[in-house]
Amino acid sequence: MKDILGLVAKRLGLGLVTLLVVSVLIFFAVELLPGDIAQAVLGQMATEETLAQLRLEFGLDRPAVVRYFDWLAGAVTGDFGTSLIDGEAVTAKITDRFINTLFLAAYAAVIAVPFAIALGIIVALLRNSIFDRVANVVTLTSISSPEFFLGYILILYLAVKWSMFPAIASLSSSMTFLEMLERTFLPALTLVLVVTAHMMRMTRAAIINLLASPYIEMARLKGAPPWKVIVRHALPNAWAPIINVVALNLAYLVTGVVLVEVVFVYPGIGQLLVDAVAKRDFPIVQACCLIFAATFILLNLAADVGAILTNPRLRHPK
Amino acid sequence: MSMFVIGYYAALITASCIAAYFQNRKAFMLLFSLTLVSFVLGIVGGVPALRGVTIFAGILALAAGTSYAFREFLIQVCSPAIAKELRTAPLTAAFGMFVIFTYAIAGIFAPWIAPFDQSEVIASAFEPPNEDMLLGADQLGRDMFSRIIFGARNSVGLALVATVLAFVIGALAGLYSAVKGGWLDQLSGRVADVIMSVPSLIFALLILSIFGTNLWVIVVVVAIIYSPRVFRLTRAVAGNVVVMDYVEAARLRGEGDWHLIRKEILPNSTAPLIAEFGLEFCFVFLLIAGLSFLGLGIQPPTADWGSMVRENATLISFGDITPLIPAAAIALLTVAVNFVVDWMLFRSSGLKEQ
Repeated sequence: MKDILGLVAKRLGLGLVTLLVVSVLIFFAVELLPGDIAQAVLGQMATEETLAQLRLEFGLDRPAVVRYFDWLAGAVTGDFGTSLIDGEAVTAKITDRFINTLFLAAYAAVIAVPFAIALGIIVALLRNSIFDRVANVVTLTSISSPEFFLGYILILYLAVKWSMFPAIASLSSSMTFLEMLERTFLPALTLVLVVTAHMMRMTRAAIINLLASPYIEMARLKGAPPWKVIVRHALPNAWAPIINVVALNLAYLVTGVVLVEVVFVYPGIGQLLVDAVAKRDFPIVQACCLIFAATFILLNLAADVGAILTNPRLRHPK
Repeated sequence: MSMFVIGYYAALITASCIAAYFQNRKAFMLLFSLTLVSFVLGIVGGVPALRGVTIFAGILALAAGTSYAFREFLIQVCSPAIAKELRTAPLTAAFGMFVIFTYAIAGIFAPWIAPFDQSEVIASAFEPPNEDMLLGADQLGRDMFSRIIFGARNSVGLALVATVLAFVIGALAGLYSAVKGGWLDQLSGRVADVIMSVPSLIFALLILSIFGTNLWVIVVVVAIIYSPRVFRLTRAVAGNVVVMDYVEAARLRGEGDWHLIRKEILPNSTAPLIAEFGLEFCFVFLLIAGLSFLGLGIQPPTADWGSMVRENATLISFGDITPLIPAAAIALLTVAVNFVVDWMLFRSSGLKEQ
């Protein structure tokens, strides 16, 4: 037990270091700006005095390293500075939207995860049948389509032609939970389609890999019935790859959300990021990027830790 | 009961009987289960549902026929060694090659195929299709069809350039790391880790917000974002080759690193790299399409599929499918490349279960 904790702690430490390096990357990328932030805000026509004034206001007279640690300390305590465009606090803008994004991602995940794993296992058991071939082609098509293609197809048929669901996923605080579920159904469904396809293929590969191992063949040869081979021999060993698949796909879900939010005009953090990029509002861009990257790293970390916990062989690296 | 429904069931049942007579079990099961499913569909959806099935089956048959003919054509045209490989290609892979071939033709000969120039305004905004304009006009009154043809050149071309650059960076770094080892290996490995720990779209958005949406910025950024994938694969493949005796022998002969890479390692690791190139192209293509869709990719008036979807998206709320066509063009090419890559991976890795 002790060495498991040690391993997990080591992995967490590594994740923290990665996050630090990424934060350095995000902060100093903006420093690469031709000129500086003040110039980017005021444009080419700015006079020296106004530039100097603005630099003082943003604290640009201090060295970049000092500003980085300021920014990082702020970010850890939930303060991301103020927007360059309207001077509002970035945190206030982000909080609600981040909750919305998490809601959408969780909604999609709750549908997609059980669905994808069940289908993936079925397809793996029926491999090389017609059903498997069809599933292969369908999932491949779904993976290869850009998210906005799937989103607009759903809008065209489910919202416009058959008017079953609203096309625009606007939210307000007065809505009940059920209303929210209905409003966000189409964006969630788009994400479900993409993520399910990914997850199904990965589950299928993992299970097929497992079924090819010698102890499964041994179980078959000694005459165990097929269901018993699956439940007693395959499934206990399948958890590790499946947990891995789920965590990796949730990480994917978090970034897939950006395009989907734009398609459905969903008030989430992804749309905020895209708007901020177009307006070159760097504090918001930095904050959103840091949040996305942190979530991504965290979920990848979860995949690793899950793998360590469920697979004893990983606890003793050679 | 319309004539169509009678003909529909007659054709299906006759086909099932023929399949049963020739003892083709798979075809029989497929056709007969389709008949049974049609009963349910016909009751639920009526004649339109059956028409839908017919059209779908027709398109599928047409695609299969085209793929079959194209594979035969390739087998005739290519040299015997390649033709032998091609014979093992499944229909999906042949279909993929056909689509890639079509896109290549459209992209290369775009100015001659397209009836109008990509930025030429010839009609009023959103004009419906007529005999001059196959797909109608876009939001500024430019010919949609011409813009889609030109899009094959612009969007695919940009993605290709970015993929090649990503490949050159990643493969060179991977090969040198494998040959040199030591600190260079460690350093490039860590750099790849960091780049891969940021989601690609987010990374691209961050850099584009700083440098603006310049074509070269897009190419370089996308190449850097996707080079770690190539790096890892190349490093792994080359790592297995480097420990071979013949590489050791070449080293003892006093050959330089460049010679080792070019003459000893590359020839023995091409198969996985070619398949990776296809996959990588799909990722790059989808990322660039996503950026264009967000208005941060190729800038107007240059025709580009991603931004065309965005510009014409309002038509969707009127039930018009025109904006879906460029999106479908993106999806079709990615699917096609994936089909071909699937076959190549299957062939090179000997991934033949059972």
